[in-house]
Amino acid sequence: MAFSNEQLERYSRHMILKEVGVKGQKRLLESKVLIIGAGGLGAPAALYLAAAGVGVIGIADADDVDLSNLQRQVIHTTPDVGKAKVRSAEESMKAINPEITVHTYRTYVLANNIGQLIAEYDFIIDGTDNFPAKFLINDACVLGKKPFSHAGIIRFQGQLMTYLPGQGPCYRCVFSSPPPPDAVPTCRQAGVIGAMGGVIGSLQAMEAVKYIIGQGELLCGSLLTYDALNMEFRKIKLPRRDSCAVCGSQPTIIAPFDYEQAACEVKG
Amino acid sequence: MNITVTGSTKEYPQGLTVAQLIQLEKVATPEYVTVSINDEFILSATFAEKTLNEGDHVEFMYFMGGGR
Amino acid sequence: MDDYQIDETVDITDVVCPVTFVKAKVALEELSEGQILAIRLNDGEPVQNVPRSMKEEGHKVLKLIDNTDSTYTLIVRKAGE
Repeated sequence: MAFSNEQLERYSRHMILKEVGVKGQKRLLESKVLIIGAGGLGAPAALYLAAAGVGVIGIADADDVDLSNLQRQVIHTTPDVGKAKVRSAEESMKAINPEITVHTYRTYVLANNIGQLIAEYDFIIDGTDNFPAKFLINDACVLGKKPFSHAGIIRFQGQLMTYLPGQGPCYRCVFSSPPPPDAVPTCRQAGVIGAMGGVIGSLQAMEAVKYIIGQGELLCGSLLTYDALNMEFRKIKLPRRDSCAVCGSQPTIIAPFDYEQAACEVKG
Repeated sequence: MNITVTGSTKEYPQGLTVAQLIQLEKVATPEYVTVSINDEFILSATFAEKTLNEGDHVEFMYFMGGGR
Repeated sequence: MDDYQIDETVDITDVVCPVTFVKAKVALEELSEGQILAIRLNDGEPVQNVPRSMKEEGHKVLKLIDNTDSTYTLIVRKAGE
């Protein structure tokens, strides 16, 4: 493919980089990334990937934009309140970069649709806000051999890890099953500092970009934790768990399944 | 004995178990924490009897469910 | 008589810094190691920066020709990856 002068200008800061160059930018333009959740994590991830020229961006979310989202979900604006989040996210992404294709999925991601959803994408970003969804995405990506970035944020803390098929430990190696509903606080109950989504969601976009251009070390086999109050990043080495129910040597999970939602999480 | 817990090395009593360390470190959700010693995961069922040794490297991993 | 033969030419006078360098880089990408690219570029910033950037990328700058119409032609031999 040939670059137009406008494309050269738009992506010049990427293409100047030795690690990206012409080849890397081409790869970005030809790549497909699915972002599950158009919220605190998904918002910055979607904006940066759109700006980077990721050719196809899928965005899945069942909810509408709520005023309480705007403290952190920078992809939505005040006039978007009441609008479907995927629509609002699509508009923002297309405004930044009209060149890209956006696929919107106004749905909850569940065991009966996740396999089909992730199938056409090269990389998946988990930007969901509940454990049933996070375990579902992990299982479906492991079973479907899809690389993905997991992340979680709460209060002044965030963490993320990257799964690569056939290589790294998966989320279930670290946490073998979700905590019982309501046992561990979520953002809705505990709060989260707005910029946390910006930090961690941007790091997820960074992992996706590095995966696509094939450069650097991914967070495969490590959990990066960020404590904003102490301003401390730590990279914790993650072993594989041979007894892991989905990626271990004798897996017992052979198809994605849904866990029960915590009562307070049913409405998104 | 000296052990390194979440990156900082401190003096701990001899014979300390993982369960006691969790208590000592005031882990917020002791039932749901994942623990690794020297980059190996420890089964939560063994926290009470698993004792720590000089030079061990302990990490706690916490559930973080938020994102939207 | 020059001891090189131009394989491809690119005109970067229609873009400004840093797109000048990027456009030249894209043109070089299409060539094989050892092939020669002639780059037409404007006087001023492009002629100051593009030859240096090409050297930094490891390519060999063979010649810079003043076209006396406030453009230059930069002759570059592509390096291996």
